[in-house]
Amino acid sequence: MAIKKDSFVGTMIFTVTLCLLCSFMITGTAEVLKERKLVKKRDELMRNVLIAADVDLSGQDFRALFKKDVKPLLVSIDTGEAVSDATVMDFDPRMASINPETSIKLEKKQDKAKIKTRANQVRVFKVFNDSGELTSVVLPIYGKGLWSMVYGFVALKPDLNTIENVVFYEHGETPGIGDFLNDAEWTNQWHNKQIFDDKGKVAFKVVKGGAKEGDIHGIDAVSGATMTGRGVQRSIQFWFGSEGFEAFFKKLKASEV
Amino acid sequence: MSTQSISTREMLTGPIFANNPVAMQVLGVCSALAVSNSMQTALVMTLAVTFVLVFSNLIISSIRSLIPNSVRIIAQMTVIASLVIVVDMVLQDVAYELSRQLSVFVGLIITNCIIMGRAEAFAMKNPPHLAVVDAVGNALGYGVILLGVAFVRELLGSGTLFGHEILKTVENGGWYLANEMFKLPPSAFFLIGLMIWSINVIQRKRG
Repeated sequence: MAIKKDSFVGTMIFTVTLCLLCSFMITGTAEVLKERKLVKKRDELMRNVLIAADVDLSGQDFRALFKKDVKPLLVSIDTGEAVSDATVMDFDPRMASINPETSIKLEKKQDKAKIKTRANQVRVFKVFNDSGELTSVVLPIYGKGLWSMVYGFVALKPDLNTIENVVFYEHGETPGIGDFLNDAEWTNQWHNKQIFDDKGKVAFKVVKGGAKEGDIHGIDAVSGATMTGRGVQRSIQFWFGSEGFEAFFKKLKASEV
Repeated sequence: MSTQSISTREMLTGPIFANNPVAMQVLGVCSALAVSNSMQTALVMTLAVTFVLVFSNLIISSIRSLIPNSVRIIAQMTVIASLVIVVDMVLQDVAYELSRQLSVFVGLIITNCIIMGRAEAFAMKNPPHLAVVDAVGNALGYGVILLGVAFVRELLGSGTLFGHEILKTVENGGWYLANEMFKLPPSAFFLIGLMIWSINVIQRKRG
């Protein structure tokens, strides 16, 4: 060998080559798995939407069910107008919310959910029953908890106020403490709670010390997870407020979408 | 460790019992405590470690004459870390739920001293075919301890093996009152301690 392996140049050549080879190994694997990952991601999405809409999945093919009962819509947040075509399922909400061309920067005052930028379009899902009646509208929400973005779906009944069910499918809150987000015992409280008060303002609350009996807007906070609970409450306030689904709800009530 | 004096067979079987990496060298205990509460996670973890260990030993042994001395540890780490990422990605693809249960411990295979140790102590000095044999032997040694501990922990802690009910617990209307301690990591300390003790006793008897 012309270059000694322990010389400076030899060491450099070796490390660079090794790093390149190793990175090829990793990207190669990622590339092979990419297609399968996409399918899985979509399956996960369909399943979460159906769970949020409180559809009974036991013994059913969720893909067929989704195709039959769910209509995905791409909604413009500012105008509330919605489009529904084949590309809606390919919509990538994360990319849309960070791409400056498809999102807006939020002022600190507006940014209750602490998400910094908000996409101009969101994907919502209308869920119908077998006789073709609208049973619920599944809306994506997300916002900052203590450490991480908490992502979820809230399903509202056709009155656009009463909660059907809720799913939090991704979060990075403290393991063991923030886990209540996936706990059915906690999410079951959300059933039949109302988001808005009589004046149409968001009244939904996560109550520390426990919601009073008969409180139609409040659910229990979990001790030790104050910030996570507050984050969830603020996400709801944000997404159901004027920066969120307000325009869409107006159109929906007027049956324009 | 001179290779000429010990046979390939000894190299394979030695680490399983007499020179077990977990029990005798007390390496890789962290993951052994964490993932040994059920047979399933223990088995998957063993397979993951086996894969990483075999290929890291193979790769490092094949390029050992090219590795500059000053960066050899970093070079080993690079190979090991890349392999671990590959394993993690594949695991997330084929068994997502399991990979969530194993959580950080698949990633932490990078820091598993058995793998570093075998790369530095063996693969750097021996040809590839011997390095692979050594890797399989050590992976089996790790697996034996892990599965042994998991067997006891799952059976006594949950009354199941691979999720199948063996002892019907009181919770499910049976007779066996599950020992919750076996579900928690400290129980693995006791079990590994007992294993070290018994292996030592047997070794001493053999001379």
